Amino acid sequence: MRLIWDALPALAQDIALLMLLLLPALLAGLLVLRGYAPWPLLRGFLGRFRWSAVLFVLLIAISTGMGIGLLAQERGLRRGTAQAADKFDLIVAAPGSELTALFASVFLQPSDMGLVSGAAYAEIAGHPQVSIAAPLAFGDSYGTAPVVGTTPQFLRHLSEDRIEGRLWEDHAEAVVGALVPLAIGAGFTPAHGTGDAADPEAHGGSHDEADAKDAHEAEDHDHGDGLTVVGRMAPTGTPWDRAILIPVEYVWEIHGLANGHAPEHEARIGPPFDPAYFPGTPAVVVRAKELWANYALRSDFTRDGATMAFFPGAVLSGLYRVMGDVRQAMSVMALVTQGLVAASVLTGLFILTRLFRRQIALLRALGAPRRFVFATVWAFSAVLLLAGALLGLAVGWGAAELLSRVVSARTDIALSALPGWTELHLLAGFVSLALLLSLLPAAVVLRQPVVDGLRS
Amino acid sequence: MCLPLDVKDLRLHSPRGRLLLDLPALDAAPGALIGIRGASGAGKTTLLYALAGLLDRAEGAVRWGKTDLVTLDSEGRARFRAETIGMIFQDFMLFEELGALDNAALTALFRPRAERKALRASAQARLEALGLTEMGRGVTSFSGGERQRVAIARAMAAEAPVLLADEPTASLDRDNADRLIDDLVRLVRAQGTTLIAVSHDAALLERMDRVLTISGGKLVADEVSTCA
Repeated sequence: MRLIWDALPALAQDIALLMLLLLPALLAGLLVLRGYAPWPLLRGFLGRFRWSAVLFVLLIAISTGMGIGLLAQERGLRRGTAQAADKFDLIVAAPGSELTALFASVFLQPSDMGLVSGAAYAEIAGHPQVSIAAPLAFGDSYGTAPVVGTTPQFLRHLSEDRIEGRLWEDHAEAVVGALVPLAIGAGFTPAHGTGDAADPEAHGGSHDEADAKDAHEAEDHDHGDGLTVVGRMAPTGTPWDRAILIPVEYVWEIHGLANGHAPEHEARIGPPFDPAYFPGTPAVVVRAKELWANYALRSDFTRDGATMAFFPGAVLSGLYRVMGDVRQAMSVMALVTQGLVAASVLTGLFILTRLFRRQIALLRALGAPRRFVFATVWAFSAVLLLAGALLGLAVGWGAAELLSRVVSARTDIALSALPGWTELHLLAGFVSLALLLSLLPAAVVLRQPVVDGLRS
Repeated sequence: MCLPLDVKDLRLHSPRGRLLLDLPALDAAPGALIGIRGASGAGKTTLLYALAGLLDRAEGAVRWGKTDLVTLDSEGRARFRAETIGMIFQDFMLFEELGALDNAALTALFRPRAERKALRASAQARLEALGLTEMGRGVTSFSGGERQRVAIARAMAAEAPVLLADEPTASLDRDNADRLIDDLVRLVRAQGTTLIAVSHDAALLERMDRVLTISGGKLVADEVSTCA
């Protein structure tokens, strides 16, 4: 049996599991309703108690929808963060926290990091298996956009060569991420620091909004120490969409440091850098010529007191393991919540069945068999539960979409958090459990004395 | 179907032991029209429910033909009612959200599949015979008289040989009550149905063949009506 199950494609397994979870409800429905079609009565009950019914459906929909939305969102966040780290095969940084280096390099979160020295960088760049060794220099910003110094090779790698405009030809040029509100041709001066701590005067200028607005009209610019936007990256769905990428040489120059090249090559952009003129960089993104070489590179560049090398994917996996525990806790909470909702629904159904005890008594007085009355009451519960569950799926969809937008707006990580099979399985399990539980109020109705019901 | 009524030593006690009904003997021929009257709380409706097999704690015998309802379990009594007894209530007891025909053909929902279509057609014929032609119209828009007609059509749709009515005219004004009595008596006479009606309405009671008077749960008078 196990072999057959394992041999099934993932989709078939998901469908089979869904059917298995729904099977108890389907069997209960077939057995209870066999031979009867109490639909006109159901219509009558639903119409008579429409507001109670609507309240029930909403209660079920919101509770199931929240569970579905949160679980879908958590999965979407994992996918989104993994996708954001996709272009970063290996990161070399000064020894410290891998997580801090990951957040700074991949997700552009402000942080204090040590520097990788020129000698260490030269060794990385000179490794025969390294195709790209791009220094990343953070710490400056323009408005809310982080300004990152790097190399043209990394820019092309990051954008997959999808750049509107052109690459840098001068140190004072910038290529902006897809969401940066600067047009090609606009000029700006970066501030030292990020966020509230940013100092716009530190680099000899201030934000030049007018320049940005008049960017399309400007043909020739003189921004002093400022930068000119010459290109725009296509959307990447990562925090880099809000970043401004400039030559790393400019970052060093503006901080009064050597620009990575000997004076006779000071106009050069990108590698090779001269270790003697390399001021240091917080992180180096490394891309190996062959995939297998990444492991050797990580081993080679992990040195006590000098550098640490790590795979962002591996660090994220570690994070996901922690999140996995959270996810499990969330799943348990979602299940407990569904159980509580099922219990509430059960209680509510008991109350509702008390409301229509007179109609039930009438049916018995007219000679309706117990199984017909049982089927009618159960079908009433089933309609409410199924409607609530379906609406819950829609609510979950909407909640996941809304949460995705909020998280995307805050992190710039493109998230797609649509409910998947896991959520459908959760919902199917809930529906089956609730439909089986709703057999109870249907059975209790039959114990009510007919005459008491008629006189109520 | 000819189903004479034969009640013997029918007694009913409340859960606290109070005697609610004590009827040593009562009989009725098939097709008889019997009225039951008495003061409020005298036990009229309780007697009617006992005759319908709706009481679980009844003692003695309530025989319709060869079937003693007291010996049947609740499911057996329900089956007997579905096939044999039609019931009419004072406040109509219709499903307000359904149309006239859906209400009149309500019992079709739990009858064998083969009988459902015929029962629905029968319900429609009864509604038409009672002057109701808008089959799909919601009963909430009906007058009291029209609603009770729908209830009568429901009770008679299965062509049950026995009709038990609890204050069928109590919720109607005089004109509507008189028209309803005419229609009800006409139909049961035409079908040969046994009608047992609890009522305070003199106009209805005087159309009955016999009128029983109940007091304190006991039969104190059994009179043959001279007007019927």
